[in-house]
Amino acid sequence: MSRGSAETLDEITRFLTEALRREVGPDDDYFALGLVDSLFALELVTHVEDRFELTVEVEDLDLDSFRTARRLTAFVHAKKADAETAPVHAGDS
Amino acid sequence: MGAEGTFRTTAPRVAINAVGRHLPDCPRPLADLPELAGLDEAERLTCHGLGIDTVAVDDGLTAAGLAERAARDALDTAGIPAAALGALILVEPRAPETLISSDATRLQHALGADTALTFSVGGLGCVSSTPALLTARGLLAADPGLGPVLVVHGSKPAAARRYRHPVTVNGDSGLALLLGRPRSAAPVHLLDLVQRTNGRYWDLFGLEYRDRPTAEWREKCSDPPGYSFRLAMETRNRLAELVAELLARNGLTRADIAGYASQNLSAGGLAFIEESLDIALLPSCRDNLRALGHLGANDTFLNLSTALDRKELAEGDLAVLVNVSPVAAWSVLLVETGPPSGPGSIA
Repeated sequence: MSRGSAETLDEITRFLTEALRREVGPDDDYFALGLVDSLFALELVTHVEDRFELTVEVEDLDLDSFRTARRLTAFVHAKKADAETAPVHAGDS
Repeated sequence: MGAEGTFRTTAPRVAINAVGRHLPDCPRPLADLPELAGLDEAERLTCHGLGIDTVAVDDGLTAAGLAERAARDALDTAGIPAAALGALILVEPRAPETLISSDATRLQHALGADTALTFSVGGLGCVSSTPALLTARGLLAADPGLGPVLVVHGSKPAAARRYRHPVTVNGDSGLALLLGRPRSAAPVHLLDLVQRTNGRYWDLFGLEYRDRPTAEWREKCSDPPGYSFRLAMETRNRLAELVAELLARNGLTRADIAGYASQNLSAGGLAFIEESLDIALLPSCRDNLRALGHLGANDTFLNLSTALDRKELAEGDLAVLVNVSPVAAWSVLLVETGPPSGPGSIA
């Protein structure tokens, strides 16, 4: 895991532990543990968007990308990589 | 996948000349619902955390009876005989009393609306009132000679159990909207509405009934994590888009909106809508949730009429009504309030 990924994983794990008020490991499936309601889902997605400066679109809403801190870390980095490699179209500023 | 259901109108606004209501006189304390004893610990905790203290329960009326009471209330409020109705649109009940027969013409017969164009619409759960309003607006626009249109819904849970884990507790109610062409004295005008659906969620919630007695009917969620995560997040995005579209195509900004009302599922659900859209809902939403539970497709207009009763909105205010269904369907409606009292009062 790169240094950037490790930092992201650490940050997401800390957020989850704080938000869920219990220790959450990198591979704990907090959905399977029944810890997620719609308000928490909103809090989680909003945090990821704000902290990592990305937008979670409807087509990104694959539960498997969000069910553990490690998977969420991979999603964040894939999303950031996509944004950096997105083609620039004529007219884009 | 997604279906674009927007109906971009060039038709004039629609007057809501009266709102008829039927609510049980004495809502039942949540703790008195017999099914609570059969819930497991997780279900019980969720149920008690919904923000519902009492539930509207009317054991003596079916959905058809609730609808009829509300229809009569709307007609009485407006002083219009049923025989004068141009159209009668029933928003279909959650479950019909009998198959094959017609709940719509049953209501027509009960009211004596003999000449009203009569049919039912639905298929979108709690959002089903929106296609009814779209249809009513279309009828009024298409036929200049059409008389008033009455849109009616009786909301009663399909199963004896009222708790739908992990979402809400369903109550009983009837609500009717008497619609017509715009007029200055109308208490409310419907200005515009936008609707979207996504068929991938068509069976997210369901109730199997063919092979079991009614006592065993249960509303079930086939994918709780999908409901709490994917549909919730899609709802956030969808509602933001719909509200932006509704305001933009009417030349408005958020600063022009005096209030928002949504359906009443739970305290968490109301907070979710508020945080998703960065808005504050009218106080009537939480109060009706607490006192009545979830009243299906009747919630938003009941919340609006309660807000008008309490003067949470003033004459000339614009309000947005938000509806969401796990079918999945979303709709947002733009309404304008009119004079607060007088003939045809909404209250």
